[in-house]
Amino acid sequence: MSESFTLPLRPLIEKRERPDTLPLEIAQINAQWGSFRDVTEESLRAKIEEEKNKDPWAEDEEAEKPTVEIDSTERVDQLYKRRAEITQFAMQAHMEALFALDFVSLLLSKHTPRQAELSMSAYLKQVAPLGSLNAEIVNPPPKSEAALQDIKTVSRGWRLQNFNAAANKLLKSATRLEAEVASETKYWNEVLAVKDKGWKVCRLPRDRQALGVQYGFLEATPIFRDRGLAALRRAEDGSLLLDKGLIPQRARTVRVRVRTQKQYTGCSKVSWSLPSEDSIERRILQARDTVYEEELFHEMVREARILGSQGVTTRQNLVQVPVSEDQEILLDLVDVDQGEPAETETHTNEHDTLADAVAHSIRILLAYAHRQNLRRRTQPPPPLSQKRRTIPEYQLLRPVMAYLQHTAHVRSLETFLNEMAEVLKSAGLRCEITAAPFASVRLPQAPSSAPKVEALVRPFLMPFESTFTGNLITPESSFCVKVRTSTVAPPAGTFYDLTVNLPHYPEVKPPSRIGLQNEAAAALTHLILLDIVSSIARTGAKPPMDEAGKGLSWEVAYAHHGELRALSRSGNNKKMKVSLSREELRVETWPLHGVGVPRREEDQSAQLRSQSWRSGSSEPSRPSLMEFVHEVSHDRP
Amino acid sequence: MHELLLFASVPAHQHHELLQQLAGLTAMQPRHRLERRLVFKAYRKPGLVTTRVGASQDLQGADFQRLNKMLNGGMYYTQVVGPVTKTDFGTAASSRMPASSDADVSMSGSGESSYCYENQPWKLEFRDIPEAGTRSAVTTRLMASASLPKGDIAIPMNAWGYSFVAEYMVEGDVFVHNDIVIFLHRVLLYPSAGSQESHGPRRQLPPYHELAPLERTGSYVLQAAITVQDGGNQELMKTASQHLFGLREQLKSAVRLEQADRLSLDTRAK
Repeated sequence: MSESFTLPLRPLIEKRERPDTLPLEIAQINAQWGSFRDVTEESLRAKIEEEKNKDPWAEDEEAEKPTVEIDSTERVDQLYKRRAEITQFAMQAHMEALFALDFVSLLLSKHTPRQAELSMSAYLKQVAPLGSLNAEIVNPPPKSEAALQDIKTVSRGWRLQNFNAAANKLLKSATRLEAEVASETKYWNEVLAVKDKGWKVCRLPRDRQALGVQYGFLEATPIFRDRGLAALRRAEDGSLLLDKGLIPQRARTVRVRVRTQKQYTGCSKVSWSLPSEDSIERRILQARDTVYEEELFHEMVREARILGSQGVTTRQNLVQVPVSEDQEILLDLVDVDQGEPAETETHTNEHDTLADAVAHSIRILLAYAHRQNLRRRTQPPPPLSQKRRTIPEYQLLRPVMAYLQHTAHVRSLETFLNEMAEVLKSAGLRCEITAAPFASVRLPQAPSSAPKVEALVRPFLMPFESTFTGNLITPESSFCVKVRTSTVAPPAGTFYDLTVNLPHYPEVKPPSRIGLQNEAAAALTHLILLDIVSSIARTGAKPPMDEAGKGLSWEVAYAHHGELRALSRSGNNKKMKVSLSREELRVETWPLHGVGVPRREEDQSAQLRSQSWRSGSSEPSRPSLMEFVHEVSHDRP
Repeated sequence: MHELLLFASVPAHQHHELLQQLAGLTAMQPRHRLERRLVFKAYRKPGLVTTRVGASQDLQGADFQRLNKMLNGGMYYTQVVGPVTKTDFGTAASSRMPASSDADVSMSGSGESSYCYENQPWKLEFRDIPEAGTRSAVTTRLMASASLPKGDIAIPMNAWGYSFVAEYMVEGDVFVHNDIVIFLHRVLLYPSAGSQESHGPRRQLPPYHELAPLERTGSYVLQAAITVQDGGNQELMKTASQHLFGLREQLKSAVRLEQADRLSLDTRAK
């Protein structure tokens, strides 16, 4: 079978000796054009030119031109006329066909009256009795030799023509089949290539004849799960078409933007690293990504609706998530090609990393939710009851919000504590602060039963907790701040838990749950102030001996106002006021005359001594707090 | 609670293929399950007051009362089910007895320590005889389950008025298809040890390969079950059976799911 066997389809035409036709042609020319006498080269050329210039369609166009110009009513008339003509012709044809039928029926009624009667018209039945027409074979008169020859030639010509037509049809269908085979081969090769890439190829459930490719996510919400299946159709040339039905072909993606103080300061990347050439693989990947992105956005909007109480707002195609007072995150679904932000918006790239991180995290969280769905689906179901099982909203925005809010709170608290420590350091006081941000996030160490990816995500869905611990100036006293943020469990938001250990003020208990950052800072400032006051009082308990051998000892008057006083036997009573803020520590002393009653204003201002310490300003000459206290403790006015 | 069931018999050679078909249908990997099943028979202790009389009875639901009556009526077998894993089975220690003594000790030690009878969780499963005279083509029966304390279950069960009858093992794979739990399983019998029989549950498990299938040909049973919270709700029962019929239709080309013979699922103690 290696040699291809060719079968000639066209009939062989014998090339006969052509008889010399010149005399015939000369006779023909003579008959058509007259004699050759007048023919010159010029006249022939002129004739050819004339033939050439004459447009073959000129006559038709001229005939048509007036019809173009006629207006619409005439056109309608004409249309109706033509239609009437057409119907008339059809009627006539119909009638003729009926006549023919009647004729044949009448002719047949001689032999098979029962059958012929069925196809006879009623009128004919009335007029002509059945079997009244007969046909007989008449011997035709013998034809002449020439006529017989003619018939022979004509039938031969007919046969040749038919053979030719059959051959043409066969050859045409052969080429068509060849093209079909080629395109079919191409189609199946591409389908196999898709299958080899690892995509699931299956029959479509609705359309059993067609193949489909499954690229969606089995655990997605049903509408998106069902969209994860597209038909693989064959184009004319056999290339693969991904038919997603009515779903628009555009590739869409979730874009994350960061807006700080009404200005866009960050935008996530919207383009994917897809194979560059326009292959079927690329289209499948794009379809898969789009269905994932659309589900992501759908779920985010669903989640955003229950987060209205936490400041999350939704527009038609936008979710706004507040992070801190002046920063918010905007999530919207955009087409991939127009995802870049418009140039008119003031835009810096300051927070691009943040936007990208948010974009990645929501996608990871959706994948985690899918895994949770699988887990739930494969567990034995609860007994069937009338309550429908609802799928809770996925945690997509909430962990992100919690994380960002927590970070913002922890950062600001850290800054506050650092500033405070700076202030204290400049006053020569030591205050150690250790921060443990995100102490609650513990990455799994030991291999647990859950897969590693799930174990990695899980701690981020729990409430976040950070702790700050610090030693205060007086020994044994310390504080501990726990910052907790939760957007999942009912008390949503961030709370500060303060615990202190102040041996000098055992009765001081800070409020257990502080919701506002300012309040927490104020409470901490107050605690440190108390501690400073008690440490001054403690050093004051061992009065410094000056040259005269006399010193004042400070005792606490109103600890919560930062006031101390020193009573002296010689009447040089003094009062000290300590004030502390995150910018500075300020100590003032002035003499007291009579317990608690200051003298007149001008005296007070004259004898007032004060010293303030600020962070950053490092004057080496400036005394430390204790030195200042030591200095003002001399028992003299 | 009520349970609606359909059964099919699956010959051993079809088992693997059906597993794959079910995995495709339910879009999940099979969950292998090994269960110890202990059969207990309720008996009435002489002089035991089984039902409380008085006002408290009115507070109990009718369903609960009925169940209570059945559990204490002394006429039903109940099952206690305990999940085990393949590592819980003994290694082939007994067959290695003639080997050198050191190896033998270590082998049997490691083989026996893997299964801890004291930590075995248990679940009580009560199944009524399927309801008679239902026109529906599914098996419907009253059911109830309760978790039991871990460890040696024979003592508490005795105290509650049950005596141990026999035990066997069930091996199979579970699939979940929406509300339907599909359990493709077979019953395995312990090798007959003779003296230990019928005294109480085993404290050690024999090597896995020594267990013999009850059905000699090794064929499996396919059980499709839906539990319904409220058996009195006709609407729900109808929905549940519709779901089962849907599954039957889907599996039609693979297996024939059908109703079980009512009397073959009789749990009454004669």
